[in-house]
Amino acid sequence: MMKNSAKTPAVLLVLMVVFMVLAVGFLLNLWGNPAPRPEIPLVDPAFISTQTVRTSYAELVAQKADLSDFDCYGCHEKDKPPTLRFDADHNLIIPKEHSDIVMKHGSHNRNNICFNCHNENNLERLQPRDGRELKFEESSQLCGSCHGPTYRDWEAGAHGRMSGYWDRSKGQFTRKDCVSCHDPHAPKFPGRKPAPPPHPLRPLAAPKHEMERED
Amino acid sequence: MDADGLNRRSFLRTSAVLGTGLAAIAAGLAPLRNLKDFTSMEQFVQKYYKELTPEDMEKVLKRIENEVERQYGIRPHVRDLKPMDGVQFVYCLNLSRCIGCRKCVHACVAENNQSRNPEIQYIRVLKMTNGSFDMEKAQHDYDPEKVPEKGHFYMPVQCQQCHNPPCVKVCPVHATWQETDGITVIDYDWCIGCRYCEAACPYWARRFNFAKPSIPKDRLNPNMAYLGNRPRKQGVMEKCHFCIQRTRAGRYPACVEVCPAGTRKFGNILDPNSEVSYILKNKRVFIQLKEELGTSPRFFYYFDV
Repeated sequence: MMKNSAKTPAVLLVLMVVFMVLAVGFLLNLWGNPAPRPEIPLVDPAFISTQTVRTSYAELVAQKADLSDFDCYGCHEKDKPPTLRFDADHNLIIPKEHSDIVMKHGSHNRNNICFNCHNENNLERLQPRDGRELKFEESSQLCGSCHGPTYRDWEAGAHGRMSGYWDRSKGQFTRKDCVSCHDPHAPKFPGRKPAPPPHPLRPLAAPKHEMERED
Repeated sequence: MDADGLNRRSFLRTSAVLGTGLAAIAAGLAPLRNLKDFTSMEQFVQKYYKELTPEDMEKVLKRIENEVERQYGIRPHVRDLKPMDGVQFVYCLNLSRCIGCRKCVHACVAENNQSRNPEIQYIRVLKMTNGSFDMEKAQHDYDPEKVPEKGHFYMPVQCQQCHNPPCVKVCPVHATWQETDGITVIDYDWCIGCRYCEAACPYWARRFNFAKPSIPKDRLNPNMAYLGNRPRKQGVMEKCHFCIQRTRAGRYPACVEVCPAGTRKFGNILDPNSEVSYILKNKRVFIQLKEELGTSPRFFYYFDV
């Protein structure tokens, strides 16, 4: 049977208090939790969007958008080809009505003449070098008339972005026109801000010393 | 009755102490309250994936739909898509075009229901110096004002879906295997979380759920596949599976569809008219990462020369 000494009540009381504290601690989950992680902001939805930066003429027509920008003879006179003006350094002077155009198609101002691509006698058509007349919806053929290998790759699906179904028997694929991604007057992609870098649980090791280039 | 040892006082005292002691033990078992979130009886006794009959699989898919609805409030559509005949997936990535914008990383995260905190991203974009292919010196955390930066090129790396995968060889429970169309898959209900596959992978393609994954409810993708993007639980591995819920339905993966530079190309190499066949026939410089290890990846990096 239990021994009854004078200290027993005190010991039992202490034990009870200890057990109560433990019970409360376990129930409220007071210890053993992992360190709180820093907040990671959700990514800007622009980084998940598949929208192209531009819209081609064919897409504008399909969306029934406002096409008044393409009504050249709303301002220009028929049978009067516009004259081009150049400054002292042979740079094209963009008229203020077309001030949104930046002319940078190729290096060294090689495409400094609007009528390399536009038809001066019919401003609503494009002219490749072989004398054809192309509508704005067919502008990709104009690009291909100079950029042959890229056009061949584009037709095969290797240049530009394919979306939709890789399995043609299951659905349609879509291929973007050249001008959906490239500004025809300044086709080289401008830089853009990248999405934020990854947030690992432990900090990344710093990369080793970068290789020195010999030039 | 023996009146010496047991009297009312000592009985009450003893039982008070025992009572608080038992309460402490019971409170110590309090984490078992969360057992329902971790596993259910049906999941615990579920058979191996390759042994499930179609009826068993129906029940499993229904269980998953119920669990996701309970946790996120959205009822998803979970399918078990089988590989198609005559299909071998191949991925081509044009290193002349990648600008390092990381849109592919985030499109993948959104499509595949990856944890936002702690952050899991299947794709890691490496910034490399021109003229070097040393991945040990690549930067992972670049964040300039504008990409691409002069003198560098960008190489996104994800699971290479190797022909000869080291991760499949080391899995002690066969929770991961390669399917006939080339995708290496993981059964999240069979994985025990030992992380041998993470150690075996030379490309660091495998990600582990160290904590309970957290996905914002409004960004959950309800179009799910059993071996693909259904929400995972703490303690299992996950990795790129070529968007199995899209590709086995005939669609392009999310990373291909979002790339603004048209860098990524995906398709069936057994189809002579696919763009990947065209690229492999016509381009001249191809790189398979860590080729010397003999993993034979399905990922071909190429340049536009």
